[in-house]
Amino acid sequence: MEERLKLASRAMQAGMLGIAVAGLLTANFTWMPAAVLSLFVSIVPSVVRRDLELVLPIELNFWIVLALFLHVIGGFSGFYDNVPGWDHLTHAMSASLVAALGFVVVLSVDKYVESISLPRPFLAFFIIMFTMAFGVIWELMEFSNDQLTGSRLQYDLDDTMVDMMFDAFGGIIVGIAGAHYLIHTTPEHFVASLKVEKTKEKISGLLEKRARSKGGK
Amino acid sequence: MSEKNRAASSLFSGRRRDQLLEAQLSWIASLVLFFSTVYAVLKVDVLWIVFGIAAISVYVLPIVTIRDPFRALPWEMTILLSAPLLLHISAGARALSDRFAWWDDLTSIAFAFSLATIGFLLTVELQMYTSVRMNRPFAIFFVVMFTLGASGFWEVGEYVDDKVFGANFLNSNYDAMTILLWSLVGGVLMGLVYDLYLRVMPKKRLSNFGFIHLYEVPKWRKG
Repeated sequence: MEERLKLASRAMQAGMLGIAVAGLLTANFTWMPAAVLSLFVSIVPSVVRRDLELVLPIELNFWIVLALFLHVIGGFSGFYDNVPGWDHLTHAMSASLVAALGFVVVLSVDKYVESISLPRPFLAFFIIMFTMAFGVIWELMEFSNDQLTGSRLQYDLDDTMVDMMFDAFGGIIVGIAGAHYLIHTTPEHFVASLKVEKTKEKISGLLEKRARSKGGK
Repeated sequence: MSEKNRAASSLFSGRRRDQLLEAQLSWIASLVLFFSTVYAVLKVDVLWIVFGIAAISVYVLPIVTIRDPFRALPWEMTILLSAPLLLHISAGARALSDRFAWWDDLTSIAFAFSLATIGFLLTVELQMYTSVRMNRPFAIFFVVMFTLGASGFWEVGEYVDDKVFGANFLNSNYDAMTILLWSLVGGVLMGLVYDLYLRVMPKKRLSNFGFIHLYEVPKWRKG
């Protein structure tokens, strides 16, 4: 299973690279920046893993690449315009992704910051609110882009509102699933499986090194 | 009758004049909130009923649990809580909305401020009644996220209300996005304000309310 997910991730990354190259060859530049940027973002978890030894769950890794890939291929192949509901699909994907990353961050905060304690029901509530807030910020970015550059990222009220419903949907699913998941495992256990401890050491080590080299000068 | 008077005088005795005045202001604002909510209930205005009940709950909870009407929320917060509901139900506000283009922006800002206030009170009251603990940066972050998220759900709620029950909240995408934009501005602004609020409030006044500074307490048990 793990191997397959990894393979699928690589294939999608190759696809994004392909789209970037194809865009260059056919002088179809509209989606090239998005493809290149998405490719870089999809590499971030691997870099984080190598340099900080922070291990994200493999499913989450796959989800990140899938969301980026669907976004890029949808733009490049015109699915956003031609396939009904594509926009909403990618919205639900990215919203659940934001929720999952928020979940990881908030759990780590809960464990490592002494003055913060977040019980499970509150965690679910916070994730839902956080995801919706992110959805709102996203729509505002689209809106301001439309206003400033005259692009048409937002079609109409119906479209925007259904987008936000899917954002809410993604957030609620991950919020509840996350809270449910923690019934079976403790936050300590989950955070330990991410190897945040090692990451922390590594970061503090780097900071110390920097402080020392600065002090040396 | 005389018994009642004595009870009342013991409740009011030992209160300073300014304390009394502040509490009275807060009670009046809460009455406005209460009757506006009743009005919304009579009109079966579902969204605003939810808002009113949520606002009343955060107002009443400390008073009921501490059993002291003088622990009412600061009046400025209570006014912020009740303002958007009052603006929503009053006919005068509707007339002004028709006349002035900026009026809707004003009500949007009032709404964002009240959402942020509810968020802030949540950070306080969750620590009073549950095992949730936050520190200052997280609390401020929560206030901003809560404002944005709640206004997002609110817009979706208005949209559903329009489609299902034929209400007439949202006219265009532009209108909806302006409301959300103001909620972003209002949320961030109120996040900063509430960050400063506790630091600049005089010690004496802060101790009147007693419960508002919970995440400022350095020693508490986790869990």
